[in-house]
Amino acid sequence: MPHKHMLIIDDEDHIREVASLSLEMTEGWKVTTADCGAAGIELARSERPDAILLDVMMPEMDGPSTLRALQLDEATKGIAVIFLTAKVQAADRRKFLDLGVQGIIAKPFDPMTLGRQIREALQWPPTAALTEAEEKDKSAA
Amino acid sequence: MSAVVRNLPIRRKVSLIVMLTVTMALVLACTAFIVYDYGSDRRSMADDVDTLAKVLASNSAASLIFHDPEAAGEILSAVRAQPSIRSAAIYDRTNRPFVTYGQSDVRWLPRDYADHVVIGADSIQTFRTIRFRGEAIGTLYLVADLRELQTRMRLQIVVGSSILAATLFLALLLTRGLQRLVTDPLLDLARAAGRVTREKNYSIRVTAREDSGADEIAALKRAFNNMLEEIESRDEALRRHQAELSGQVEQRTSELHDANRALVHAKDIAETVAEINAQLSRQSALILNTATDGIVGIDLDGQLTFLNPAAAAMFGKELADFQHMTVHTAIHYRPDGTHLNDSSCLLGYALRRGESLTRANDEFCRSDGTAFPVEYSATPMRDEQGRVLGSVLTFRDVSEQRAIEKMKDEFVSTVSHELRTPLTSIRGALGLLKSGMLGSVGAKGQRMLEIAVSNTDRLVRLINDILDLERIDSGQFDLSRDPIDAHALMAQAVDGVQTVADAAGVRLVLEPVDAILWVDADRILQTLTNLLGNAIKFSLPSTTVTISGLRKDEMFTFRVADSGRGIPANKVDTIFERFQQIDASDSRDKGGSGLGLAICRSIVNAHGGRIWTEPNGEQGSVFLFTVPVSPTSTAASLTGELIGPKTLLVCEEEGSATSWIVATLRKNGFVVMVTSADHVLAGAEASRLDGIILNLAPEFDAAPIVDMLKGHPRTMNIPIGIATAHPQASPGSFAGNVRAWIRMPLQREDLLSAVAKLCWTPQVLIVEDDADLARVMSAALQARSIRTMYAANGETAIELCRRNPPDLIVMDLKLPDMDGYAAVECLREIDEAMQKVPLVVYSALEVGASDRARLELGPTQFLTKTKDSMQDFETCVTNLIRGVTPHPEESQHAA
Repeated sequence: MPHKHMLIIDDEDHIREVASLSLEMTEGWKVTTADCGAAGIELARSERPDAILLDVMMPEMDGPSTLRALQLDEATKGIAVIFLTAKVQAADRRKFLDLGVQGIIAKPFDPMTLGRQIREALQWPPTAALTEAEEKDKSAA
Repeated sequence: MSAVVRNLPIRRKVSLIVMLTVTMALVLACTAFIVYDYGSDRRSMADDVDTLAKVLASNSAASLIFHDPEAAGEILSAVRAQPSIRSAAIYDRTNRPFVTYGQSDVRWLPRDYADHVVIGADSIQTFRTIRFRGEAIGTLYLVADLRELQTRMRLQIVVGSSILAATLFLALLLTRGLQRLVTDPLLDLARAAGRVTREKNYSIRVTAREDSGADEIAALKRAFNNMLEEIESRDEALRRHQAELSGQVEQRTSELHDANRALVHAKDIAETVAEINAQLSRQSALILNTATDGIVGIDLDGQLTFLNPAAAAMFGKELADFQHMTVHTAIHYRPDGTHLNDSSCLLGYALRRGESLTRANDEFCRSDGTAFPVEYSATPMRDEQGRVLGSVLTFRDVSEQRAIEKMKDEFVSTVSHELRTPLTSIRGALGLLKSGMLGSVGAKGQRMLEIAVSNTDRLVRLINDILDLERIDSGQFDLSRDPIDAHALMAQAVDGVQTVADAAGVRLVLEPVDAILWVDADRILQTLTNLLGNAIKFSLPSTTVTISGLRKDEMFTFRVADSGRGIPANKVDTIFERFQQIDASDSRDKGGSGLGLAICRSIVNAHGGRIWTEPNGEQGSVFLFTVPVSPTSTAASLTGELIGPKTLLVCEEEGSATSWIVATLRKNGFVVMVTSADHVLAGAEASRLDGIILNLAPEFDAAPIVDMLKGHPRTMNIPIGIATAHPQASPGSFAGNVRAWIRMPLQREDLLSAVAKLCWTPQVLIVEDDADLARVMSAALQARSIRTMYAANGETAIELCRRNPPDLIVMDLKLPDMDGYAAVECLREIDEAMQKVPLVVYSALEVGASDRARLELGPTQFLTKTKDSMQDFETCVTNLIRGVTPHPEESQHAA
């Protein structure tokens, strides 16, 4: 199974850094990052990632706007999007799901389970090579 | 003369009458007598003279023949015996005196003499022819003097006059005596009348004298007395009446006086009242004019009749601009005729029924077509008899309030973002370090990293809880209430903490309950999860935490019991305060924020419930809280309804690749129980299920399991779905026993749509005010695997349809709050989907053809309670339901 390719769009450098490190290390995915919605859309067009982890609160173009732009673009509308957000109210969750995102992951996230949360949201099977590690991680928890 | 007589006293009059009468009588009598006497004397004298004359004539005849004057003289002298004969003469044939007597002036006889008597005034002359042998030889002439007679007459007159005088005198005397008899009583009467007149004394009576007999005067007296008596009695009566009258008048006067005083008083009061009224009306006007809330008067036709300045300012219109507009049109329509929002307006409906209505979230339209958010309240105006005259709509422009709320929301959102963003990096970095993936840091370093991670987690929880509590307590969050099945909620909570319980070695027991709650499912789930989490946290391994519930009247009590260390009595009251853990070390050891119970209390309070704790016998504690029962299910037995999460049983082979299906379903809000093929019947019997999914290995034959489930009375009605990857498996072999066919592998959407079809059961809303009848109908439909909701009145029905649209509505026409026509009208207003919902009108009376159109919703059938049986009803409902059931082929995923 080829490695999955994730695009992370978040205006926070540190979060991008931690998240990409986490996904690379725990899942072995290829991770690309963008620091704003516009750059993210460009990358999504050019790189065609398997999924996008999109921050909701960003200056200029926020998560929902970026999502709409991605959905309206023929080249990117098939890419699954997961919101990464500090908004955890039930009402917010419902609102986001209505926008057509595949999942919502709350901030702060646990770097060790971030990949699993993404997989579960997208119904990706566990990465075979990492199943063992994951099982180990589970038993450790 | 007559006047003189008239004025004479009555006795004079009587005297006069008597005198006159006497005089007249006497004069007449005497005159007659004298005249007669005189006449007869004169005639007898004349006769005597005549006789004498005859005698003399015959005697003297010879003398004449013989012409013997002497002898004739002698014969004549015989008349001397008759003194009255004044003179006498004998005439010869030649009428020459022959012999004369007395002084009579003898003269020649008149030529025309004959035998006749001439009676003169003072004499009687008689001529007598002297005949011899029939031959006239002379004439004898005698003159008798009447003076004697006259003298006698004069004497008679004198005598008569004397008699008259005497008579008059006597009469005078007599009348004097007589007048006493006549005049005295009259005078008495006159005097009495005079006295009565003078003295005004009607008790005076005319005395009846002895001599007064039964004559007219006596009668007059009696009449007079009677009259007086009558007058007196009248007078007396009059006086009495007068006295009475004057008493009455006095009384009336005093009454009048009193009345007048009262009137004056009343007038004062009226003036005061008018003053007060005027003041009040000035005040009312002032209040209406200065009120910052909009106040609108609405008449019975729903038209605007009044607009205070604030309302006019908010609308940007005057009352005149709203003419011939109903209130709904006035406030919800833009000037171009488009409707402001899609939400149906219950205002007109509530006002028509004279009910109050309050809305916190609505929008009204300005004259320029823009909308402004309002809170409004409409209240009917009633007169003293309770008749509705119209309504008053008060509203407030809450733009500012909304802006502040929005600012606060944004602040909370920003804070949560700003705090969480650095924490996300910290937590992420620490997590990676702790995992050891980036290299080992030694045991002490590892310990420090673990401390950092756990405290970061705690900090995150604390921030989350503080923000959560802030939101709830400030009333910023709206409870989004729905009718929710209590059991499903509890099952979901247990599901959520199962992993933690397992890790702690604590057994979770869920006791079944049967109630539909009126709650915000997310918030109650949060509360239950929190209480269960606490219970597990403070329980020792191998102990049990039990969650149960009990419905009492309109409240449902949740109960979470543990056998942990319990709550000290002095902490029972404060435990729900913020940061009031029993032991300060708890927050560190157990990782709590110290706000969990405070949040629970805020949530329960917001639901109108109560939360408290009790000791659980010897060991442990019980946390209890109450929430309201759904108003739509006044009788729990009437609602076989499971609104809220669906409960599914997934039968999987142990060790198979779980649970992508299970995980996906759980993630999408289903309560999923997992069992093995061996225990599927036991599992299916234990819970109330919406569906069973057999997720078996390709080589496993599902048929025996399906047959077993369908053959068991308690499970036969549960729809079954089969998930299979076997290419040859065919739904045909299960006939109608399998509703959903889930071919693996498939996408999430396909699974969810297959499961939605699996769980689909028609839901019928029964609108019927007779609860017993509703129960019978409900039971009949539930026996056919049709879920029922129940509303006892029109308003509940409408509210229920709005929140949870049914697949079919059964409606009675006679409801306590509105008739079926109004209810159908309101249902049509909800949305277009509602206009397609089938309706069964089940009424006591047959509905006329003309009225049927007014009751049409979707396909509409009319049944009459008296005519159509319960079987007819069931058949009718089932047939209509068939029209809305998803087609069997649709539920099968295309291979």
